[in-house]
Amino acid sequence: MTNKRILIIDDEADIREATKLCLEVAAGWEILTASSGIEGLQTAASEPLDAILLDVMMPDMDGLTTFEKLQANPKTQNIPVILLTAKAQPAEQRQFTQLAVTAVITKPYDPLTIASYIAEVLN
Amino acid sequence: MMDRQTINSSSIDSLEILLHRMMNRIRQSLELPTILNGTVAEVRAFLGTDRVKVYQFHPDGNGKVVAESVQSQRLPSLLGQNFPAEDIPPAARELFLRARQRSIVNVSLQQIGVSPLDCLETGEVLDVDDIRFRPVDPCHAEYLTAMGVQSSLVVPILHRDQLWGLLVSHHADPRQVTERELQVVQLVADQVSIAIAQSTLLSQTRAQAQQEATINRVATLLHSMTEMKLQQALEQIVSALKGIGGRVYISAQDSGQAQLLTCGMQPVLSEKRKNQSSRQKRTQNSKFKTQNSSTHVAAPVEQYPSWQSCFSEEMQSGENGVWAIADLYQSTVPSDLVQAFLDNQIRGVLVVPLRYRQQQLGYLSVFRQAVEVETLWAGRYDQDDPRHLRPRKSFETWRELKQEQADEWSTSEIELAQALGSHLAMAIHQYELYRQVRALNADLEKDIQERKQAEIKICALNAELEQRVLERTVELQRSNEELVRQISERDRAWQERKQARASLERLSHQNELILNSAGEGIYGLDAQGKTTFVNPAAARMLGYEVEELTGKSMHEILAPSQPGETPNPDNPIYATLQEGTVNHVAEDLFRRHDQSSFPVEYVSTPIREADEIVGAVVIFKDITERQIVEQMKDEFISVVSHELRTPLTSIRTTLGLLSSGWLNAQPEKSQRMLEIAFSNTNRLVRLINDILDIERIKFGKVTMEKQACNAADLMSQATDVVRAMADKAEVYLAVMTTEAQLWVDPDRIIQALTNLLSNAIKFSPTAATVSLMAELQTQHIIFEVKDQGRGIPEDKLETIFDRFQQIDTSNSRSQGGTGLGLAICRSIVQQHGGKIWAESKLGKGSSFYVSLPLSHQSESNQNEA
Repeated sequence: MTNKRILIIDDEADIREATKLCLEVAAGWEILTASSGIEGLQTAASEPLDAILLDVMMPDMDGLTTFEKLQANPKTQNIPVILLTAKAQPAEQRQFTQLAVTAVITKPYDPLTIASYIAEVLN
Repeated sequence: MMDRQTINSSSIDSLEILLHRMMNRIRQSLELPTILNGTVAEVRAFLGTDRVKVYQFHPDGNGKVVAESVQSQRLPSLLGQNFPAEDIPPAARELFLRARQRSIVNVSLQQIGVSPLDCLETGEVLDVDDIRFRPVDPCHAEYLTAMGVQSSLVVPILHRDQLWGLLVSHHADPRQVTERELQVVQLVADQVSIAIAQSTLLSQTRAQAQQEATINRVATLLHSMTEMKLQQALEQIVSALKGIGGRVYISAQDSGQAQLLTCGMQPVLSEKRKNQSSRQKRTQNSKFKTQNSSTHVAAPVEQYPSWQSCFSEEMQSGENGVWAIADLYQSTVPSDLVQAFLDNQIRGVLVVPLRYRQQQLGYLSVFRQAVEVETLWAGRYDQDDPRHLRPRKSFETWRELKQEQADEWSTSEIELAQALGSHLAMAIHQYELYRQVRALNADLEKDIQERKQAEIKICALNAELEQRVLERTVELQRSNEELVRQISERDRAWQERKQARASLERLSHQNELILNSAGEGIYGLDAQGKTTFVNPAAARMLGYEVEELTGKSMHEILAPSQPGETPNPDNPIYATLQEGTVNHVAEDLFRRHDQSSFPVEYVSTPIREADEIVGAVVIFKDITERQIVEQMKDEFISVVSHELRTPLTSIRTTLGLLSSGWLNAQPEKSQRMLEIAFSNTNRLVRLINDILDIERIKFGKVTMEKQACNAADLMSQATDVVRAMADKAEVYLAVMTTEAQLWVDPDRIIQALTNLLSNAIKFSPTAATVSLMAELQTQHIIFEVKDQGRGIPEDKLETIFDRFQQIDTSNSRSQGGTGLGLAICRSIVQQHGGKIWAESKLGKGSSFYVSLPLSHQSESNQNEA
């Protein structure tokens, strides 16, 4: 897999840590993390990124707001965003798929295949 | 002169013998001729004269020798010969009658001896019975001489104070009559008078008997029970009255027809009279019938006006109403009538009006023709000859024959006619009555026959009626039974109907109650989509009054999501009306009166009558709350899903890394992954426990094991539970217990206090103080858990008690919170009848209060018992 720089934005520290380690050891990608939307926007605007794994349900600024802001910022609007969410209700899923996101990955994802899936959708 | 004492005894004996013999003669017979003949014979024998005769006066004054004893060689017989009245002058008659004077004429001596018995002037009986002689009238002497008589003895015979006749003794030679002889003859004359009286009485009796016999015969004929033999009766009457003809004219009675019966000779009408009669007939329009061989077509004479007027006059003046005309020539009868009779040689008529009481029934007429009268006169007598005043010279028998003489109606005949007329009238009346009765009888018979026929018919009808009645009775019985059965069925049906009606009313009432009570809106539509009924819930939900919706197009009012006006094929309600389908629409929008919309779920069901869709009923309900609940449920599921998936994600990722072997060479990272996995596993366990706990408490599936507790004990125990946690967080824990008796589940109250204390510790900075206090009020005890944390925004003070409503999720979770602690606390407090709330000031800390009711004495007592 080609090297990629991936930003994970999630308020859950354990998930950030485990997902970062999973992508690093599975695909060898460089993983950046942010614990909130605001922090994620700052990182995305400042760092070259190949993709952003964005959690939806976060305090203060949820993932959808964060996505809108990423889209609104020319610096970040072209960065592929993959929603990584624990919201698995069909209505929620339909809502997510209507957004201009690259993919939606439902928690709990399969740690053995997530890297290859991300690589696939990014291609 | 010789008195009675001079009669010697032999003479007396001879006289007695004579008288005795004469009396015997008289007694031997009641027949006057016999008596008279015997008398004259005895007297002549006694006197020894040539001729002894009995001369009887006629009513007209003439006389006739009715008995005679004659010495034929001495004097001629005068028997049967008549003598004119002039032969015995009235003076002589007067003496005969009033003085009973006897006369003795001695022609040769030209003397006459008279011997009255009674005084001429006074009529008293004279004591002296002598004979006084005086010269005889020369005419008298001449008369006797002409007769050849020289001696005569005349003794009057009186009857009923009338001069009946004379007992005369003639002798051709001169002869002296002694007083004795005169006495004897006088005695004989007296006996003759008696005999005449007896004989007259006998004759009258016989005549009466004959009349009665005639009347009886006629009456028998008339009063025949079977038939009035009027014709025979008429013949009997005509015969009895010595008529040559007769007729009975019966006036028109109730039968309306006059009747005429004739017998023998009848009056005839001339052509002129016939014509008159015809005219009269026509004008009178009379009807009559005749019963005789000769039928008269003309009207009877009785119908002549002249008859009726004449007869009426005659009736008024006639004797006993009888019209007795012996000689029509001498009558005052109108000439046309007279001619009608005379044309047929009818000379005399006897008309008896037939009356019964005051009713004029008709006339009985008997006719007589003229008769020839032959009279033997003693010597020719010419009344017209003036010489008749002179004594006749000859007494030679002269036969006088008079033709066309009227035949007088005697009194007895008139009486007989009257009697017969009475019987006839009575018979006619009775016959008329009989006829009427017979007619009535006939009518009655007819009526009886008709009634019998009617009775037969009635009997038949009765029988038929009885049969019908019987059949009808049977039918009625059947009908009755059927009726009873029907009534029973009807009663039962009525009861059933009553019950059904009651049920219907109950159901209707229930339906109305249901409709009124139903939370769902219900309305009915007719086939055109117009509202027929709306229940209050529907009206209320739509913001209308019920009356405003009835009769309106509900589709236009409600404006459901399916566009267009009713009928709209796309509208499910229209489909129900058209196709009869039951359509369930889970979600739609109805419009309220204020034009706002609200979500509804409805079911449209067709209303059918006799397989025809006549409308639809729509049941809808406002699903706003349900949608909210569902939304909340969805959100809860979403949150729970998220909360469950979050630790699972960590666990799966870490365990996946470990199981992949990628971290085999990195034991520190492996260890770290294990810790993350373990930590998230614990989190997951707590989460699951809290979720289950809150659901069980909420739905009452966790029984509160209430008991008497001391508030201070509960506060101490809760503090003990979190003391380690406070120590670890370097937070001071301050407890100020309050003694109070509570009736609570101590474990659950400790759990609630523990949750509040742990939350306070979690969100308190290091070295801060978390306090647990209690304030005792009248009815409640209020626990307070106070921290010195960052505080809670005002708008979150309520929502924080909802599930998964954490203010800072990441921090909370980092502190091991599940987001359900406060929700569990609220459920526990509510299960104890208490309240929980929070007060906070941002940057200064928060206070959570729990209010619980103090222990109830009753409950305490109950528990203690």
